Amino acid sequence: MIKTADVVIIGGGISGCAIAYNLLKKGVKDVVVIEKAYLASGATGRCGAGIRQQWGTEMNCRISKLSSDFFENANEELDYDGDIEFKQGGYLIVSSTEKEHEQFKKNVTLQNSLGIQSKLLNLDEAREIVPFLNTEGLISATFHQKDGHLNPFHTTQAFANAAKRLGAHIYTYTEVMDIIVEGGRIVGVKTNKGDISTNIVVNAAGGYSQLIGNMVGLELPVFSERHQILVTEPVEPVLGPMVMSFSLNLYCQQVPHGSIIMGRGDEGEPRDLRITSGWHFLEEMTKTITKVLPPLKDVRLLRQWAGLYNMTPDRQPIYGPVDEVEGFYLAIGYSGHGFMFGPATGLLMAESILGEETTLPIDMLHLNRFKKGELIFEPSVV
Amino acid sequence: MRIEEHPIVGFQRGKSLQFKFNGQPLNGYEGETIAAALHAAGIKVLSHSHEKHRPRGFYCAIGNCSSCLMVVNGEPNVRICVEMLQEGMEISTQIGKGDILR
Repeated sequence: MIKTADVVIIGGGISGCAIAYNLLKKGVKDVVVIEKAYLASGATGRCGAGIRQQWGTEMNCRISKLSSDFFENANEELDYDGDIEFKQGGYLIVSSTEKEHEQFKKNVTLQNSLGIQSKLLNLDEAREIVPFLNTEGLISATFHQKDGHLNPFHTTQAFANAAKRLGAHIYTYTEVMDIIVEGGRIVGVKTNKGDISTNIVVNAAGGYSQLIGNMVGLELPVFSERHQILVTEPVEPVLGPMVMSFSLNLYCQQVPHGSIIMGRGDEGEPRDLRITSGWHFLEEMTKTITKVLPPLKDVRLLRQWAGLYNMTPDRQPIYGPVDEVEGFYLAIGYSGHGFMFGPATGLLMAESILGEETTLPIDMLHLNRFKKGELIFEPSVV
Repeated sequence: MRIEEHPIVGFQRGKSLQFKFNGQPLNGYEGETIAAALHAAGIKVLSHSHEKHRPRGFYCAIGNCSSCLMVVNGEPNVRICVEMLQEGMEISTQIGKGDILR
């Protein structure tokens, strides 16, 4: 393990690997990524792996557009010898309440104003996209063809490989035990495999970001929440887009291999770090999805798992430095959308760390927005 | 081929059942799985691998291995090694991963 680094990034998910890649690309020399298990072992590898540009705030729209544009050329940009499996089958988001339908109208207007070609559909138009959609109880839908999904393991590996070629030091199965602060300034990181002197630490620890924040004496306005998900046996391609509903609380997509992945949140979920699976989810998920997409009743389940959403009060990420500790940066609190924001996170955080002008105005996503009461609330989240 | 006599195990055959495999009329017995009836009828190729389309035969026989997935009465991905034979079943070799929209 190296003894001194310019930047130490905590967390080997999409965020950590993308930040490392961007820092190295910009010429930073010694960049370290510390991951307590294997790459993408946390929320990245456990997520539903979708990317949508259909958001309800300008900031989320712009972050995801930046990321989506990157994903379109990521195999080449990262010179990856595999395939990140980016499939742009669109997101079909359905509404089931009048309030939601009204929100959709606002969302589409906002998205269109930002160059995102989403459209509001009536139910007949929605059925042209997914013919077996059961529209009973639904009101409308929105669709954007450039949304889609990709493989989170390949994508993280693609960033990690590219970063390594540029000289990144990636330490897996290595756990950060403490962060050393002297005189309000970061001076080093203690791990279970040795210590590293550094003046810059990036907290990209996903569901575990609070624990890392505590190491420098911060109580961050985030909490983690278990979200469950399941995968079926592979079947012939039937589902073009990701089908999603905020009010029905579900998302469902078919990966290129043929398996169907679906998930939902549970309102009664306690705020802790459990990632166990439960039968309650299985029952609710299968009941809900077979109502909306009836042919799925004949598909067998393979397995289920869970991961952590790192939630913020306004469901938007926290990016950038903190006022309290010099050299401590945050890339946390994605509230379930850290994977799809990955490429933007990498670029924006690298710019922020290097004191460059950021491609998007991420000072709006600074930690101090909660103190100032300047929240920008995202209405459209599962 | 069927074992008619065995030194230890006795066979109590159920009544004879008619079914179709890829349109071909065949006979089996009540109380046996679809896979057993096909095996007795000399049908050894149950499916094909997805990438190289190599033939796959009777393998785990307990519903785990996916080697025997077939379309039964229109339903894809049926594990015929654990599905009991019934009178008049229409069984066919599955092409690909199973079409759930049929």
